[in-house]
Amino acid sequence: MAMGLSIVSGGLAYFIPAAYTAVQATGQVVEIASPSPSGLLFSPTASPSSPQQVGAFTVLLLGSDDDSKFSSDHVLTQSMILVRVMPATKTVVMLSIPRDLWLPLSTGGMGKIDGAYSYGRAGAAIATVQENFGVHINDYIWVGLLGLIRVIDAIGGIDIVTSNPVLDDYYPLDINTNSPYGYSRIAVLAGPQHLDGTHALQYVRSRHNDLQSDFGRSRRQQQVLLAIRQKAKQLSPEDIPALAQAIGGEIKTSIPLSRVAALLPLASSFDNPDAIRTIVLPSPYTHGGAPDGSLYPNWGYILPLVHQYFP
Amino acid sequence: MISRFLLGAFLAALMLVTGISTYLYLGGRQSHVSAAPLNPTLQTPSPRAFTLPGTLFLVQDGAIYSLSAGRFHQVTTAGGWMQPSLTVDGNLLVVRKSSFYSDIFELNRFGKRLKQLTFNAAPPRSYDTGNNHWAFYPRMASDGKTVFLSYDKPKGGYEVDMSIWSMPLNGGLRQGTDWTYSQGYTGGDMQPVPVKGGIIYTKYLRANDGSIISQIWFVNRPYPYTLYAGRALTKPDQDCREPSISPDGRSIAMICTYGKQISNLVVAPFNGSSIGAMKTVISNQMVAQPTWAPDGSGIAYLAPGLADAPFQLWFLPRNAYAPPPPGPSPSPSPIGGGPQSSPAGSPSPTPPPPVVVVKPIQITTYQGFDAASTLAWAT
Repeated sequence: MAMGLSIVSGGLAYFIPAAYTAVQATGQVVEIASPSPSGLLFSPTASPSSPQQVGAFTVLLLGSDDDSKFSSDHVLTQSMILVRVMPATKTVVMLSIPRDLWLPLSTGGMGKIDGAYSYGRAGAAIATVQENFGVHINDYIWVGLLGLIRVIDAIGGIDIVTSNPVLDDYYPLDINTNSPYGYSRIAVLAGPQHLDGTHALQYVRSRHNDLQSDFGRSRRQQQVLLAIRQKAKQLSPEDIPALAQAIGGEIKTSIPLSRVAALLPLASSFDNPDAIRTIVLPSPYTHGGAPDGSLYPNWGYILPLVHQYFP
Repeated sequence: MISRFLLGAFLAALMLVTGISTYLYLGGRQSHVSAAPLNPTLQTPSPRAFTLPGTLFLVQDGAIYSLSAGRFHQVTTAGGWMQPSLTVDGNLLVVRKSSFYSDIFELNRFGKRLKQLTFNAAPPRSYDTGNNHWAFYPRMASDGKTVFLSYDKPKGGYEVDMSIWSMPLNGGLRQGTDWTYSQGYTGGDMQPVPVKGGIIYTKYLRANDGSIISQIWFVNRPYPYTLYAGRALTKPDQDCREPSISPDGRSIAMICTYGKQISNLVVAPFNGSSIGAMKTVISNQMVAQPTWAPDGSGIAYLAPGLADAPFQLWFLPRNAYAPPPPGPSPSPSPIGGGPQSSPAGSPSPTPPPPVVVVKPIQITTYQGFDAASTLAWAT
């Protein structure tokens, strides 16, 4: 019995720091900022599913500039990606929502969709997407700049085929610095390569020298997400403490800890890269001319697409 | 009383040891995904028993290494060194990249600095980061006097795109010539390879669906003001890049993604300005920087190792993409009796030889090389 107790104690000592961090990061309760069909308290109930989509769920990925130019809970979302996971068919759909989309915000008034999180945190971002796109979101995951760097470094970097050279003479020099308004130069060369967290962030964050501006950046973000998923398949449960220590405080999610554990083996079962569909919304889905250089949505094109992949 | 005390102390010590052992055991079961790559010059593990001909130059973590006779040697210290290529007299042209700019240097094979060819740092007391420049992928022409490179000029504002330039080895970029006109906001034109009668290079262009793709282009003289000057050697949807010409100049190797997050190794005949039928020889790896062996015995490249270890050195023997021609086909032997012969007496075709699948050989295991950096292979 003493032996058993000591083994359990050793195991607890190993996993407790991770569990503490995980409990803090997961199971975040989300308050929807405006009336919505799902009620005032967001609950991660499964969305209505067709027989072919048993267990399917939709997650909203939010990525923010949380550098020192902003106060911690009033940041914009540079990246919003709707992810639909269908375990029965082992397929995934990723739809990037342009950050400059001009639409009604759940907190009231019109604005760019990237401001929703700033005005009402995750609840406002979720409600804005749900009300405008007509989808039901089961959960959200929010990650900051440092969080992305730390996640990628904690899994040993990613292997990725960067689609074109990403060169930027005025890349923000705002992480781990006393002068957050400075600039740096970056050159992420094209082709297959191994990227650490810092260079992966450069690849997904830069948009100055991209022919497609934010749409090009959305494509790069989707590439990096898929590369993270590929690398994460090699992780074992014993890696969780180091991973949790690395990302502590930089990731928040409404997914409860019990479901996180259940989702890990699911992620590794998606082996067919052709079963992962990535979607961005350039013209004719959106067009320019909206206030502050933002984009008007063309709902006549967007909604049929969304309803096709996010029923 | 004493015995009970001793038993208690023993149990307490046992619990302590067991608890710590459990903790250490769990820690030891971590995957090695975040393990740092090993320095190539470490004796263990050494490159596999397969020994490549000549001397191969590779880059890991900002340092250049040579691999010769199965042993690695460190050529430069870690300091942003990358993209080695060979000069006609056996020296190295390399890039040294810092945070804001990169320059081209000539080193001897042992890493001694012979010459700095470019000076791309912004002038002193310049506060505009845009006053710095990038220079990448230097390659010497066969005349031994001209160096081709990718250089980010012209540029302005947020637009930073590389063009292909040439410059005299004993001059500088002030005497340089702009050979290509890159499409704005794509990253531009990269990785020139001088060939007889011109250069081939990778051009990044906007595809019909709005995405940016890569194409191999050939151009026979400078066209600094024409986007589509020269000839595209590959199609947009093939998304090909990183060309490499065989030692006899008659074949080209490159990688093509076909728009996916993989990169196939593709070879094709090359006649100096156009290519023939393309043949995919590796389709299940993330292949980078294919480089022909100087003796024509195969193609080296970088790709993730088994269990997705970071980019390792691989070698594809020649037989994998250019199998030896089959022997003379059997001809019917004259047998008496002609058409009336029994089946047993008819010409019996020789069964085809078994198909030998030549697989690539993983040369290194734990090193983790820079896959955005070219390889240079000397005899």
